[in-house]
Amino acid sequence: MTNPLLAFWQQLFDTEEDARGRPRIRMQVDSAHPERATSTIFLVLRRMRAPLIALIVIYAIAVLGLVLIPGQDAEGRPWRMGFFHAFYFMSYTATTIGFGEIPHAFTDAQRLWVTFAIYLTVIGWAWAIGTLLALSQDRGFRQALAIGRFVRRVRALPEPFVLIAGYGQTGRRLARSLDALGRRIVVVDIAQEPIDELALESFRADVPGLVADARSPQTLLLAGLAHERCEAAIALTNDDEANLAVAMTGALLRPELLLIARTVSRPVAERMRAFGATEVINPFDLFGDYVRVALRAPASFRLIEWLTGVPGSTLPRRREPPRGRWIVCGFGRFGREITADLRAEGLEVTVIEPAATAADDPGIINGHGTEPAVLAQAKLETAVGLVAATANDVTNLSLIAAARAINPGLFLIGRQNDAANVPLFRAIGVDFALIPSRVIAQEVLARITSPLLFRFLAMVPAQGEARSAALVARLAERCGEEVPALWRVRLAADTAPALARWLAEGRRLALGDLLRDPNDRASPVAAVPLLVVRGDASSAFAPVDDTPLAAGDEILLAGVPAARRALDAVCHSDPTRDYVLLGRDAPSGSIWRWIERAPG
Amino acid sequence: MNLEKVIFGFFIVLAATLNFGFVIGEIDDPLHHNVFELFATVVVNLIATVLKFGDRTQIGAVHLSTSLVADLQLIAATVVWAYAEYIAGTGLTPHLTASVVSLAGGALFANVVSVVMLVAETVSFHRR
Repeated sequence: MTNPLLAFWQQLFDTEEDARGRPRIRMQVDSAHPERATSTIFLVLRRMRAPLIALIVIYAIAVLGLVLIPGQDAEGRPWRMGFFHAFYFMSYTATTIGFGEIPHAFTDAQRLWVTFAIYLTVIGWAWAIGTLLALSQDRGFRQALAIGRFVRRVRALPEPFVLIAGYGQTGRRLARSLDALGRRIVVVDIAQEPIDELALESFRADVPGLVADARSPQTLLLAGLAHERCEAAIALTNDDEANLAVAMTGALLRPELLLIARTVSRPVAERMRAFGATEVINPFDLFGDYVRVALRAPASFRLIEWLTGVPGSTLPRRREPPRGRWIVCGFGRFGREITADLRAEGLEVTVIEPAATAADDPGIINGHGTEPAVLAQAKLETAVGLVAATANDVTNLSLIAAARAINPGLFLIGRQNDAANVPLFRAIGVDFALIPSRVIAQEVLARITSPLLFRFLAMVPAQGEARSAALVARLAERCGEEVPALWRVRLAADTAPALARWLAEGRRLALGDLLRDPNDRASPVAAVPLLVVRGDASSAFAPVDDTPLAAGDEILLAGVPAARRALDAVCHSDPTRDYVLLGRDAPSGSIWRWIERAPG
Repeated sequence: MNLEKVIFGFFIVLAATLNFGFVIGEIDDPLHHNVFELFATVVVNLIATVLKFGDRTQIGAVHLSTSLVADLQLIAATVVWAYAEYIAGTGLTPHLTASVVSLAGGALFANVVSVVMLVAETVSFHRR
């Protein structure tokens, strides 16, 4: 328990503010919790009040009656039962144990009373036990229990955790990836089934889940939003309003927290950003950007795709999206985004949309894309690409099939709405599949797990095709055709002690020297440096080998896992470091080291 | 007028008055202390305790704790009484009677605290 005086003092005089000048409210937020944990026991006590009082009264009446009714002892002399014996007798009779009539056989008057008392106590017990059982089935009670357990589990999380609001397709994908990376997660969803499924998922760590409405700040606080180990809050519900509420709650209560919210609506995105630091992910917008990058800069796109893929998998060589006339079927949110993106690239776009749209667009053909007449009107045979952008997977698949029948050379982009349809889209073989949940999960992962990669990816388009192509070639040459693993090395005393000592001695360290094989320093390790970051400001894109390094630098590397182990050895062991950097076998024992140093 | 409040006040005051009635008299004279009164005190105190269950306010919590103290003291008193009557075989000697009464006297103090709190609550309620 906190001292109320202290709390009062802190409220009066604590003017501590965060970096942005907003007053901190952490303390008030935290104090809302302890009350919840004990609420269950109060609920039980309150519901049990009536049956318990009834039981006490029934016992009192029965005991008093036994004491007052005259009895006889074994010799027929008048005898009265004391309170002690009466209570003892009632105790074993009422609980149906029944030891018989003691200390003396009862008279008929006593037996009459006992008969009455037995039925009375049975009713009392039945009521009390019935109430208790009903309580354990009660929805409110179970919810109170579940909340209590959830709060305890969240509070007991020993590591930093990520709060995910909304456990749909995207949430599931993200949770699996984060768990595989060893991150802790807390999940909130408004429906019961997704939370029940948490128990069936094979997560490596315990994932606390709560069925509650994320729009309520109370829910988010229960889920640990105010917890000091909460490192990020991610709003992935299907409801824009709920995502906005999460972004707002997070931004107001924990301004320093990493907040990521998903939406497909531009006005909502604007409202989210109005609260400050929230990062908004619009899958359609993002995908449109991908397509633009792919159109304009195929090499950059290849690079981005390669670095965000699943490590160890191979990426098939993709066709590059052709320039020419494109057809977009479906003019919903995604259709609009992609049409705008394609037009911004200077391409001609024909839109097919069944609903009469308000947009006064000469390129729009009114009708169903699956009808042959409409497709003929769109002149499919002269188009180069088709985007199946409707919100219905069956429609999209049939559009793709129909379009391919007319023009087999079309570049096909399919929007895939339901994760269950993945095999169908794979079988039909689209050139590009938009899977909103995957786009979002990848983006969120990049932002949470690897801020450095995120920074790198943001820099890619500005670097130009030639540099991207060179980097791709270099990656392919050093690391092979598989998607490389990404990691970062920080030149600090805790993460790279051997190198930190080297730099502390004032010696020069070049990036290329670092990336030599500890077994044979003539050949480089199978890793490519992507980015070197110094402090907050400067960063070097695809640094060359003679880039000088300084203490505190962070290096983002892509390579095979063995290269990572090799580099780890260089970072931690002085002899390995000396061999790699100087080319001589330094003695590793302290005596040999002393002998070597003595003459020099 | 609130029936719940009437019942609540009734049991708290009754617990205190019964307790007082049992305790009053020469402390070591069994004739001054009726065992029926002790029985009634225990029953009424238990009921008063249960009535206080489930109140999450600060004053409710203190109410409950005073009642639990009174229960504890009274149950100890009845155990001493049962020991004197049935186990020791000596009956209520002045020494054991004094024990029973002093334990019940402690319960009386807890009950008085309860009554004072009830009065304080009532007064502050009217002022609001």
